[in-house]
Amino acid sequence: MLKRKNISSLHVPHNKHTAACVPERLPVPSEVILPMNMHSGHDAEPIVKVGDYVRVGQLIAREEGRFSSPVHATVSGTVAEIAPIPTAKGGTTLAIRIESDGKMEKDPDLKPPVVNGTEEFLQALRESGLVGLGGAAFPTWAKFNEMCSGQYTVDTVLVNAAECEPYITSDHRMMVDHTDLIVKGVEYLRNNMMEYLKDATFLICVEKNKPDAIAKLREALADKPYAKVHELEAIYPQGAKQVTLYNATGRVAIAGKRFPAFHAVIINVSSFAKMAEYMETGMPLVERIVTVDGPGVKTPKNFIAPIGTRISYLLDHVELKGEPGKVVIGGPMNGNAVVSVDSPIVKVSNAVLVFDEKHAVLPDATNCIHCGKCVEKCPINITVWAVYGALQTKDEEAKEKKLIDTGVRQCVDCGCCSYICPAHRPLLGWNQEAKGWLKKYAAAKKEKEEGKKG
Amino acid sequence: MKELHISAAPHIHSGIGTGNIMLDVVIALVPAAIMGVVLFGTKALLVLATCVVAAVAGEAIFNLCVHKKQTVKDCSAVVTGLLLGLNLSTNVPLWQCAVGSIFAVVVVKGLFGGIGKNIVNPAIAARVLMLLTFGAVGGGANPVRFVELESTATPLSALKTGVDGLSAAPSLKDLFLGLHGGAIGETCAAALLIGFVYLVVRKVIKWYVPVAFMGTVFVCYLAFTQDPVYALAQVLAGGLVLGAVFMATDYVTTPTTGAGRVLFCVGAGLITFAIRQFGSYPEGVSISILVMNLFTPFLEQWTAKKTLGGIK
Repeated sequence: MLKRKNISSLHVPHNKHTAACVPERLPVPSEVILPMNMHSGHDAEPIVKVGDYVRVGQLIAREEGRFSSPVHATVSGTVAEIAPIPTAKGGTTLAIRIESDGKMEKDPDLKPPVVNGTEEFLQALRESGLVGLGGAAFPTWAKFNEMCSGQYTVDTVLVNAAECEPYITSDHRMMVDHTDLIVKGVEYLRNNMMEYLKDATFLICVEKNKPDAIAKLREALADKPYAKVHELEAIYPQGAKQVTLYNATGRVAIAGKRFPAFHAVIINVSSFAKMAEYMETGMPLVERIVTVDGPGVKTPKNFIAPIGTRISYLLDHVELKGEPGKVVIGGPMNGNAVVSVDSPIVKVSNAVLVFDEKHAVLPDATNCIHCGKCVEKCPINITVWAVYGALQTKDEEAKEKKLIDTGVRQCVDCGCCSYICPAHRPLLGWNQEAKGWLKKYAAAKKEKEEGKKG
Repeated sequence: MKELHISAAPHIHSGIGTGNIMLDVVIALVPAAIMGVVLFGTKALLVLATCVVAAVAGEAIFNLCVHKKQTVKDCSAVVTGLLLGLNLSTNVPLWQCAVGSIFAVVVVKGLFGGIGKNIVNPAIAARVLMLLTFGAVGGGANPVRFVELESTATPLSALKTGVDGLSAAPSLKDLFLGLHGGAIGETCAAALLIGFVYLVVRKVIKWYVPVAFMGTVFVCYLAFTQDPVYALAQVLAGGLVLGAVFMATDYVTTPTTGAGRVLFCVGAGLITFAIRQFGSYPEGVSISILVMNLFTPFLEQWTAKKTLGGIK
């Protein structure tokens, strides 16, 4: 293979304490809260009413729009409330609260989907409620639908099993405990999309710090010439799609192009396994593996929990070191701090991390000392330190130019810059602010121009 | 239950803050400071102590006066004071040392907005100011130990006369060990190189930055005189090693990109050579760094990295 220039990255302590913890099935919670925004597109639309009896796997909210995804009941019981709850981004979203009857009765209508051809397969995926479980929450069907649009030829399916975030081992456990589902996933996808994936290679991209998963997958995939395990260095952010693409295939993700334009499609390994499970059983996405760990947890564990389970209920099943100071859903580099432990886990919640008071607050930001470590560690080479200054620019046109010059539009939100910054500056936050502003400004400019023409 | 802390990702940090980096620089300067005291005696200790105390006190009082958050804990004033002290000879009166230090932290750094906001290196700006107002600051003093020197000329003034001056200058070994006249911290190249290795190992600086500076001076002299011994003597004599390792690597006043840093050092090397060779003054390191500090924003923009997959 040609030697490539390495992408900048970090060695973040892995802290994968739960790598050997076989997920325990969580006792049935007394209630679940299912927000309507568990995917990247428009909120789903509830189709049940308060008082309705629902069973596990039953459709309770249908998708609205292109990148939306349906929601299914994750316990059996009665719909108790449909009301807005706060979201991580600061807004609110409708959520359906189901009081569980403890029986976990399955919807009797569920059966494995019968699919003939790509179209029916995509429809089945659409109904499964599957989204990118690595964190993007992009509906899985939409991903493959885009690939089939005719504009792209895909020769590589990247199954993203890097799991580069510290602490989290839910993908790892999925690979070790359900290796068969990943093998079946390869078959389902290949057979149902033969037209598009006939010559495609499936690369299961795993970081080297999961040797057991690599060995098991290698063995299970031995007789499949079109599927390989691709070992990746255990560095952060190996699982960011641009980084995985580069490190696995050598292709550079050109800014502004859709992912299939690089002749590849990327799917999280847990989504991949869940897809196989759905094709086999017809059970939509109603539960997932959640790692409960963090500096504030004495007995870290993995759980299989119904989606919508309150964080507090998960925390009841581990020993904490004391009162939690901060609770994060997702990884410590990229996850969101929750306002309250009453919040539910959602489809993409691969981990719940508890930080004790000591680890909950990072030091205050001080002046930038111009050390350049943020640029050095940025996988995309963004001139991160310059973003803050550019954001302060008064003149909007100059501001846009300055921000674009930093390269911030390509930021992958990995957080390496903030992690390494000796001045503890919230660089990732400013990057996100910059991206948001640029999008808004571009949209406003476009509108203005169209207004002029019209 | 009490309220949870909310903050934006990431929720963990490398644990290396500004203070840790500054402390590393202080540690890297310790060998040079020890050698300075060993060679130049207690007077050297007084100079260094005066500079450090004046710098820290100056910053603390300045912050109090302008109602800014106290920043002395980040150790950067210690670095500035120590660097300035190491750049002075024991002949400099202590009150001048204090004035220089206070000028560095208050005028060059504080008035520009504190750490990270200064456009030129505070220690160097102070040294140049002292040079212009008080006269010779670097030379004049001889080691009190190990050597019996009659003249008070620094090796650089001996070398100034050209390759013939080599015989009047200390041997390469003496230059390396610091057994010659000069500023407290600049004479012992060996001690400075220990600090250099420490900073590289601790990943505070990149090895190629000081090497680019010293290499440029060496190559210039080699090309000019064809005498490798003379070229090496020019590298070891004067403040070049001190400046290259500790001042041309200052984060705040040099570019952030690798290419920019190298260009900075090549430029500084060329200016140093030009001043030493063609100027009226034997030393050019401070002024060359000062000039290149002003080029930093330009070099930065010129060498900005292309983003991965970005279209430029």
